[in-house]
Amino acid sequence: MTVPIPPAGQPVPSGLDRAVEESLLDDAPVVGRRGNTVRTLKRLGRKPGFVLALVLIVFVVLTAFVPSWFTGFDPTATSPKDRLLSPSLTHPFGTDDLGRDLWTRMLHGSALTIKATLIALSIAIVAGLTLGVVSGFFGGLVDVVLMRFVDVLLAVPSLLFALAIVTALGFGTVPVAIAVGVGIVPGFARTTRAEVLRVKTLPYVEAARAGGASWLRVLVRHVLPNSWGPVLVLAVLDTGVAIIAIASLSFLGFGAAPPAAEWGTLISNGRNFLITAPWVSLLPGLFVGAVVLSLNHLSKTLQELGR
Amino acid sequence: MFTTSSVPRRRGVAALAIALATTLGLSACSSGSSAGSDDLGKPQAGGTLKVAFWPDNAAFSCVDPFQTYWIEHRTVIRNLADSLTDQDPETGEITPWLAKSWAIAPDGKAYTFHLRDGVTFSDGTPVDAAAIKGNVDGWLETVKATNGAAFGSSYILGLKSATVVDPLTVELDFSTPNSSFLQATSTTNLAIVAPDAFTRTPEQRCLGEYVASGAFTLDSYKPNELLTISRRPGYTWGSALSKNTKEAYLDKVEFSYVAEDSVRTGNLVSGAVDIAWPRNPFTVEDRALIEASDATVESRSLPGVSQSLFPNVTDGRPLSDLDVRQAFVKALDLKSYATTIYGDDYPVVGGAFDETTTYYVSQADKLAHDKAGAEKLLDAAGWTLGKGGYRYKDGEKLTLKNLIQVSTPGDELIQDQLKQVGIDLVLDVVPAAERPAAITNGDYDLVGTYFTRADPGALQFILDPDLANSKALAVNSSSPETLAEIKDLFATAARTTDDAVSKTAYADLQALLVDQGVTIPVVERLQYAGVSNKVGGFAFTSESFLKLNDVWKKQ
Repeated sequence: MTVPIPPAGQPVPSGLDRAVEESLLDDAPVVGRRGNTVRTLKRLGRKPGFVLALVLIVFVVLTAFVPSWFTGFDPTATSPKDRLLSPSLTHPFGTDDLGRDLWTRMLHGSALTIKATLIALSIAIVAGLTLGVVSGFFGGLVDVVLMRFVDVLLAVPSLLFALAIVTALGFGTVPVAIAVGVGIVPGFARTTRAEVLRVKTLPYVEAARAGGASWLRVLVRHVLPNSWGPVLVLAVLDTGVAIIAIASLSFLGFGAAPPAAEWGTLISNGRNFLITAPWVSLLPGLFVGAVVLSLNHLSKTLQELGR
Repeated sequence: MFTTSSVPRRRGVAALAIALATTLGLSACSSGSSAGSDDLGKPQAGGTLKVAFWPDNAAFSCVDPFQTYWIEHRTVIRNLADSLTDQDPETGEITPWLAKSWAIAPDGKAYTFHLRDGVTFSDGTPVDAAAIKGNVDGWLETVKATNGAAFGSSYILGLKSATVVDPLTVELDFSTPNSSFLQATSTTNLAIVAPDAFTRTPEQRCLGEYVASGAFTLDSYKPNELLTISRRPGYTWGSALSKNTKEAYLDKVEFSYVAEDSVRTGNLVSGAVDIAWPRNPFTVEDRALIEASDATVESRSLPGVSQSLFPNVTDGRPLSDLDVRQAFVKALDLKSYATTIYGDDYPVVGGAFDETTTYYVSQADKLAHDKAGAEKLLDAAGWTLGKGGYRYKDGEKLTLKNLIQVSTPGDELIQDQLKQVGIDLVLDVVPAAERPAAITNGDYDLVGTYFTRADPGALQFILDPDLANSKALAVNSSSPETLAEIKDLFATAARTTDDAVSKTAYADLQALLVDQGVTIPVVERLQYAGVSNKVGGFAFTSESFLKLNDVWKKQ
């Protein structure tokens, strides 16, 4: 990608500004940024894997907000006579050992899991970006101190670290989210720092400085917007990682208070029936697997596009 | 559902269960013998038996008879150490063992035991009157050293001293009468060890530094890993309640600790272990799996306090109102609980005690599920239905907090049953380490616990603040007036030497506990064991522990 060097004294136009300018100025119908977007979307639309993955993720997000659209059962209503029914049209995922509809519990679990994932990612992105930008931009002693701290965090296995945090904070969705979020901060910090180091040396940053822009302005207007592309890809990728970590913690019993069930709790509840009623663990497990795979696929496709 | 007809119906279920079990070739409510041995032929000597327990006690790893409360280790101890008496699991009768006879003074303050001759500890020293006195002194010292925390303390209330009358006669003296002491001498907690063990610290004894006179000797104990015992050669003084009173058949027994229920069952089914010994009853699915693999499922109710919830009746808490407590009991569907969680043939709990407890009187008619009755009581108590189907009074929601350690399906079932009448039960997961503090601080409404002992006196150690492990739980469970009544009934039962008086007192007690909602029984505790088809002679003791004297393994 070539970056036009703006005349000294003028701020570098952002991508959006440029896209707007170009589409206004150019007579050609589908060129420039908007044209690129349309073309990109068409290209993506022809990839069945991407479309499938996207549909699944959109579905999961939808279920997190309006689970009642997809099921008529109450997730906590027990029904002893319907205990451990195998999957059928009425109960697509079968029922658990208290006769509760697993599909419904799965959908209602989405809300908790998605909430935890969003909290975890917000923590990771905010803290990771800040650490990375500060460290990469200022360099020197700040960089050394921050990065050695990140080194220490990277050295501790993230699940172990999350376990330690959740034990200290107590049980529940939010503590689990915080624990997982803190665990994935180092990756974000490192990636951001690398990008900042790259962007920092580019001529337009130098030009902006030469033009009299303050450090803060350069940081916010020029460095940050141009370094978070890889961070966003990492965020999508880490959504999958966060979901797995959250499911692991709730599998171990640190999740939301019963009867609410996160995905990991559902998998864990079925582990005593693996031979006699395998669907109780397997179907929620497969579902989580499919969601994480989809997220990985999305992030990989985005990464390819970025090249 | 089931109302007044519950008692006969329950017996019907039990009878059906027994009939079913017999046809399946397993002895349901435990007898001294195993049905399997007939098909297996004559007992053979030799071999190593592998038993899988659930995880060891992380807080208190202990195999010392007097100190441990861990029921798996009491099973181990039953085979390492003998007791003065034994108790018939079928009749509850106390029979001779190390003591061939005994006499109780009319005032109940002195017990004289005449010992069997020729019994030795595995280090060769004799089991004589001096040894028994050594044990009594050791018990009293341990009570002092552990501030009464040693589990055995609960068995020797009022015990003052022991006197050697002659080499084979010993007299135990009491400051206050203790009518349950004779039964106590049959338990594993008062099993006799070689007295020089008491020169070691309680911690050393916990790790197995003692010898005793049992049919097996302890080889090694690695907490939460493996415990192995070996046959004691020359053993000839088994209790007459065992068929084999001589040396045990098995060369060695290995007890391992398996955390996952499904793995433990899988180990039995695959033949990796010979006996799977779960803490929580097998699920219906696991039982089907075990029976499909030609192994058998043995079961017996664990005597003592049933799995119950104890309320916090402190002023200002919702359960301080008797109506709310009774509504709570009526809202529970105990039959549905038993059948849903543990299967159609699982017994329904009938009161504060499990049915194998001496003096057990069923209170099943008072514990019947009655949703309409619960709603009426709650309405009368001022809790009216409001938002979300829950009940409110003065804008406050009827929320009850139950402290649990891990969420079980049973807890969630109860939660849903209570929701039907508008009670919001919050399951607050508190790890074992933080539980005592959580109870002491009093911010709870219900807490579940149990206690295994074949005597109703067991309940004192939950309810009587002077004796209980958790004083806070005991104080919070009943109003001062009710507590006085409870203590009075326990004292009446303990002071008398007349069995009829004890019986009446304990019957009154069981009625009082349910009427006043002091204990809210949830489920009968059944000790299950999955036994491989290569194993013969399986037997439960009166405490529903595993007794290995008759057990043998087909080579």
